[in-house]
Amino acid sequence: MKCKKLSLLITALLIGSTFAGCGTKPVATPAVKKDPVKISFFTGKVETVDLVNDMIKQFNAENPGIIVEQEFQKDASNVIKVKFASGAIPDITTVVSQDYVDQGKYVDLSNESAWWSRVQPSIKEMCTDVKTGKQYEIASNMTMAGLYYNKKIFSDLGLKEAKTWDEFNNNLMTIKDKKPEVIPMFVGGKEPWMLGHLVEFMAHGVIKQKYGATETKKAMLANDDSKLQFAAEGGPMDTFAKKILELKDAGLLNKDFLTATYDNQLEAFATGKAAIISQGMWALSGISDKNKDFKDIGFSPYPSIVDGTKPVILSAEDSVYAITTASTHKVEAKKFLDFMFKAENLKKYSEATKSPSAFIDVKADWGILKDEVTKALTNGVNIGFTSGPSGFSGDDAGRMIQELYAGKYKTSLDFAKAYKATWDKAWSATNK
Amino acid sequence: MAIVKYSIPKLKRKKINLLNFLSLNLHKFMAVPALILFSVFFIYPLLNGIGLSLTDYNGISKPNFVGIKNFIDFFKDDRARNDVVNTVFFALACAPLLNIFGLIYALILDREFKGKSLVRAVVYLPAVISPLIMGYIWYFILQPDKGFLFSITKALGFTISNSNWLADRYMSLWVLVLVNVWQYVGMTMIIYLAGLQSIPVEVNEASKIDGAGYFQNLWYITLPLMIHPMKINIITNIIGSLSVFEIIVALTDGGPGYSTESLSIYIMRMCYGSFTGYSTAIAVILFFIILIPVLISFKIMKAREFEV
Repeated sequence: MKCKKLSLLITALLIGSTFAGCGTKPVATPAVKKDPVKISFFTGKVETVDLVNDMIKQFNAENPGIIVEQEFQKDASNVIKVKFASGAIPDITTVVSQDYVDQGKYVDLSNESAWWSRVQPSIKEMCTDVKTGKQYEIASNMTMAGLYYNKKIFSDLGLKEAKTWDEFNNNLMTIKDKKPEVIPMFVGGKEPWMLGHLVEFMAHGVIKQKYGATETKKAMLANDDSKLQFAAEGGPMDTFAKKILELKDAGLLNKDFLTATYDNQLEAFATGKAAIISQGMWALSGISDKNKDFKDIGFSPYPSIVDGTKPVILSAEDSVYAITTASTHKVEAKKFLDFMFKAENLKKYSEATKSPSAFIDVKADWGILKDEVTKALTNGVNIGFTSGPSGFSGDDAGRMIQELYAGKYKTSLDFAKAYKATWDKAWSATNK
Repeated sequence: MAIVKYSIPKLKRKKINLLNFLSLNLHKFMAVPALILFSVFFIYPLLNGIGLSLTDYNGISKPNFVGIKNFIDFFKDDRARNDVVNTVFFALACAPLLNIFGLIYALILDREFKGKSLVRAVVYLPAVISPLIMGYIWYFILQPDKGFLFSITKALGFTISNSNWLADRYMSLWVLVLVNVWQYVGMTMIIYLAGLQSIPVEVNEASKIDGAGYFQNLWYITLPLMIHPMKINIITNIIGSLSVFEIIVALTDGGPGYSTESLSIYIMRMCYGSFTGYSTAIAVILFFIILIPVLISFKIMKAREFEV
């Protein structure tokens, strides 16, 4: 009987402990000092984690009432969806998506004149939501993407930067013929984001230069087929696919196109095994890590792929920040961004990430490509990033290029039609 | 007064009954905490998932009820069909190979020989490594022109033509199967080994006295007595293979394109790609794809159990 009573007691305790903590009755606490405000800073930029942590450390020391905590997620653009859905929303995020702008998830920063007065006008335009004309994000930096080339190989063979597709093709053919040990163009095709970038800059670049940044954004958001012409014969996607297949058939790309990684690409370029790669400024530090002595780096815009169009270069906002409307500490979040946007911090950031600052009062020595990039920016039409439907990411576009390369589509036009179908499906899912 | 007189024993009787009831049903109450946790973390998400599969939820906007549209769309979706083929192929190739090799290893390790512990550890070791890490290790081994395998074969004087196996759909599917088998065969082996060691020595001795050879003993004595470990292995291998995820992500990322993508990867990509309702519908379908072979194998083995 004693044993049974004890068992009953244990069971009661077990059941009771299950509900422990569910109560909402306030517990009287002695009047102690106020807890510091905690700010969560959510990022997907692995290359800035340590740098931002250093800044946070300094900020926390200077502001005893505020504690900023950084959270890095590799798959940040997807993780943020879970965070928004579950309510575990960060105060500041570097992940900004049009869908969430439309849902009112970000604070309107349009009135932050102390920030905008220091930002390059072109970057401010890129940070402006085309639907409302307001700014819900602010970029601290700019990034460029184009073609990195080995200057020594180019000068040895007497090659010049290509402006048209024929010139580009001739350059690659010359490298293949005269330097058979060198891969003319190396693509890390295992990682779809790099192939997605080719679509973004070369194929969508045709549309962007024709209609300009704002009109293209509007056309993409409205899925305006009269401007996008994704499935049209001789349209941007059809032409782009044709060019990729041309390069493949002529053996101008690396044999391991479908299995090579970003790391393989940087290594091949830094060691002189590849003559040309497509990358952004973010790759510069990686190239330098692979070979510190490699300085013969040239940088040019992408050649035009359609007759009558010009070469293009990505010149877009980078390192964007937004404050979420769900944040209960917006004032403190702004205070932290104020701290990050101090000229000395932006200089440090710019030099560490090797990307130019978007703030005009920041003079940073951000890398050996500074002059090359300035030249490239004047040689090509400057384009920004695409505002595609969130269900059709750059990775998805890249996977379609993998399929194209692997021979899934019989013709380039088949690829263009499949691209349009996938785009439409994703657009419909978010535009109900 | 009469009321007072009768009310006291009545109350007392009730109290005793309640105590008796609690004492008799104590074991049932013990399960309450576990049931609560099971309901909160399993039943509720499961029902919620089934509910979402009937909506057009995109992860952002309010979900709208669409009936069985997501399920109909699944059967019209080329990518989904491709992923079902990949997943089923993977399971059909992995489950038998894992069981055959697992059993062979177990039979070898059931005998006494020098270095037995070392062999057992070597066979089992890959199972304790994360499948993601395993995938990356094999990626470096198989890299064309510079991978470990290429270097070894080159040093031995062989050249493998068209060594970029991960760029070809069929070759990469087989590579995925072999890596998966290599990783988990140790797990299967351990379960078979435990089964072999639980067979009474007298049974084997009796069969030997009766003149049974090694294979006769294996076929008529050992295998029928191994029905329970076999059941566990086959079912866990079917479930594991049909829900394959990490090894593919690490080795091919479902590529080239979507050619080696499994249903689990498709679910994840659709969920994050604004097709949350559709992805939960695929998850429900995957549940049935897993359930069917598990039920069939249960039925077959139950019949075999009765025969034994």
